[in-house]
Parts: sequence; C-alpha cells; structure tokens
Amino acid sequence: MPVITINGPLGAGAVSIGQMVAQQLEMNFYDRLIFTQAARLIGTPVGAVIAKEQRVDRFRDRLGRFLQTMLERSAMSGVSGEPYFGRGIENLPPETFMEMMGENNANRQISDKEFIEATEKVVKDIYEEGNAVIIGRGANAILENMPGTFHVALLAPLEVRVQTLMRRENYTREEAESYGAELEQAHENFFRRFFNYNFYDPTHYHMMLNMGQMSPEAAAGVIVHASSDIFAVPGVTA
Amino acid sequence: MFPQVSLTAPTRDDVERLMGWLEDDEVNTSWYGLGDDGQPLHAGYVPSHVLEGDENDWDRVFNDDNRKVFAVYSSEGEHIGEAQLVIEWPLLEAQAFILVGRKDLWHHHYGTISLVSLLDHAFNDLGLHRIWVDVPEYNKPALDMVEHIGFVVEGHFRKAHRRGDQWFDSYALGLLAEEYPRRRSRLMESSV
Repeated sequence: MPVITINGPLGAGAVSIGQMVAQQLEMNFYDRLIFTQAARLIGTPVGAVIAKEQRVDRFRDRLGRFLQTMLERSAMSGVSGEPYFGRGIENLPPETFMEMMGENNANRQISDKEFIEATEKVVKDIYEEGNAVIIGRGANAILENMPGTFHVALLAPLEVRVQTLMRRENYTREEAESYGAELEQAHENFFRRFFNYNFYDPTHYHMMLNMGQMSPEAAAGVIVHASSDIFAVPGVTA
Repeated sequence: MFPQVSLTAPTRDDVERLMGWLEDDEVNTSWYGLGDDGQPLHAGYVPSHVLEGDENDWDRVFNDDNRKVFAVYSSEGEHIGEAQLVIEWPLLEAQAFILVGRKDLWHHHYGTISLVSLLDHAFNDLGLHRIWVDVPEYNKPALDMVEHIGFVVEGHFRKAHRRGDQWFDSYALGLLAEEYPRRRSRLMESSV
C-alpha cells in the first residue's frame, strides 16, 4: 500500500515532480482532486475548501464571519436590534455586506470541522487503496505515522518560485512576489491551524530537497530511489 | 491567430452531421470508440435515438439545465463540431466536452477556441466555479490542448479508461474561475 506525499510551497515544483514519480513507480497521482473530492463530500463548491488552505485570514475576513454569525443569531431570535451593535446593523448597506462576505457561493464559509473531516476522509480512502502519490493538502500530516508511507518536503528559493508563478500565471514580478508571499503565509497558517504542525520541521519528513540545487528530474529520481528502498524493507514504517 | 467560432443551439441537421462524423473510425477512435453493438459511442446521448424520437426526446437532451449541448460553427458559417457542459449546480462545477468532427480542421486550433468559448460561457454567463475534463492518455493532442489553455492536472489514474479490450491511464484536469482570466489572456497573447 505504498503512498508517497510531497509537500512544498507554491512554485517549488511539487506537482511536476509528483507526476514524474507517479509515472516511474506506476502509481496514481492526486493533487487538487483531494479538495474537489472533499468539496463533493461537503456539498460545496471547491473554492470554499481551497480557501481554507490558501487564504490568509485577514481582519476583514474575521470581521465578516463575526458579522454573519451575529446577523444569523439575530434572525433566529427574531430580534431586529442586535445586542452587539444596537439597532441599525440590519441597515448595513447590502453592497458593503456582500463585499465583506463574498457574494459568490463559491466563497461561502465552511467550518473547520467540516473541512478537516472531509479532507481526512478523502486522504485516508486514498491511503487504504494505496499505490499513490499525493501532493500537499495536509496529506503528510494526516498520514504522518501510518505504515507504508514516505513523506517528502521541497524547499525552493524565492526566485525559483517567483519564476514559476510568472511563467504559469502571467504575473509581473511584483505580483508574483506578493502572491507567492501571501500563499506561503497561508500555507504555514494552514499547517499550524489544522495540524498543529510546523511545515519546515524536518522531523515530519523522510527527506527534504532543496529545489534551488537540483532539477525536478533529479528530485524525482531521488524520491523514486529512496522510496523504493524503504518500501522494499519489511517492517520499515514512516 | 485563433480562428473564430460560435456556439449555437443544435438543429436536427447538426445532429445528423454529428452522426456522420462519428462513423469515421479516426474520429470515433479519438472520442469514445465503439460500443458492444459496434456503433460509435457519444457523450450524453445517442444521436440516432434523438433523431428518431419525438419533441419530448429532443427537449430532454437539448433543453436540460444540467447538460448544455452546443453546435460549434466556424465564422464561415460551417458546422464543425459539438461542445457540452455537464453541470453539477450545487458544486458550481461542470465537466466539459469538445468534439471537432471536421477532420480537415484538426490541428488548426478549432478545438482550443471552441473550448475557450465554452469556458467563457461557463464562467462568465453561468457563473460556474470549476470546469474539469477527463482526458485518456491516448489522446495526447487533447491533453496538450487543455494544458495549453491553462487546465492543471488534478489527478492521474492508472488504467482507468477502457477502450475496446485495453485499459489506458486517465488524466483529470481542472480550471477554476479565478485562474481563468489570466490564463485566457496569456493564451490569447500567444496567438498573436
């Protein structure tokens, strides 16, 4: 039932390396499909699930959620004047409220519990089936102590990640640097919040690879070689 | 430069032409192949059944909120293919299908621009959030095309797609509404 997880910041090359590893070891490959399956379980557009991993929780978002909760409570109790704000919160201009909450259903908030339960179920189902390479999505944390797993982290200098984003997303350098920094922050927050886990702690992984020092092909070769050795030794677990 | 196409509601003549295209081995081999009865397979409906059926049968296929079927026409007014969206409204997502039936137009970017037109409709008019495609490994031109447009491989499954007696790998690729504008603009810039 070997399962390899590959984790890394956006632009480090985890997806292309993961595909090469999956091809060489004849394994299934899972990337964003983890979240689309989790979204299906919850019954929500995938954007709501991706937001849990990729959105930096700004004050504005927290305020929006707070306001939503208060308004829902107010509506349920039939009280028009909200105790936290007094009378008049119901008169908040709709465009202001929609802007804060995100008017697209794809951006609807799902609870942390819904998110983590669905993601864990999808990842564990893939693990039970075995023979898979999984990219990110907390799979390494969810499967951290499971037998038959091999966990890899990628590191990459900012410049490597910026170049990837500029090429792939048509960003200017400034946009790529800003977007990359925001996503990295979100990535770290994601692991801390949902798994109480420092993404950069090497003790969580079998190996960490510096993508500033090797090509994606070389990294794939290293992972294939190392994982084949580990999976071939009876009794060796992650 | 990309050619121009338009998506329109299919007519009976369009469905008849589609049947003709699917009878061509080269076309149906790159599409869904032949069924156990030796007849070409198609996505979502059986063209001959629709043509033989009544108005209700027609409406069930072509006026379905969960499956949008379009005939693809070139700027010269010629029918060249079919585009479909199979929509799951609660998830705001849809699977996309593109068939260019006119073999003489293959490799002239008609598939690309047909899919772009379908994506414009899906994201801009229908407000969908994710469009995905399922591409078998033997259809390398289709895989290259959707990656060129900006779809990303979300999953790759070993021996998941059966054609005849053989099993092939299958790629699931997706594109999100927020990713589309930049990737579309990069694609259009590349065609100038």
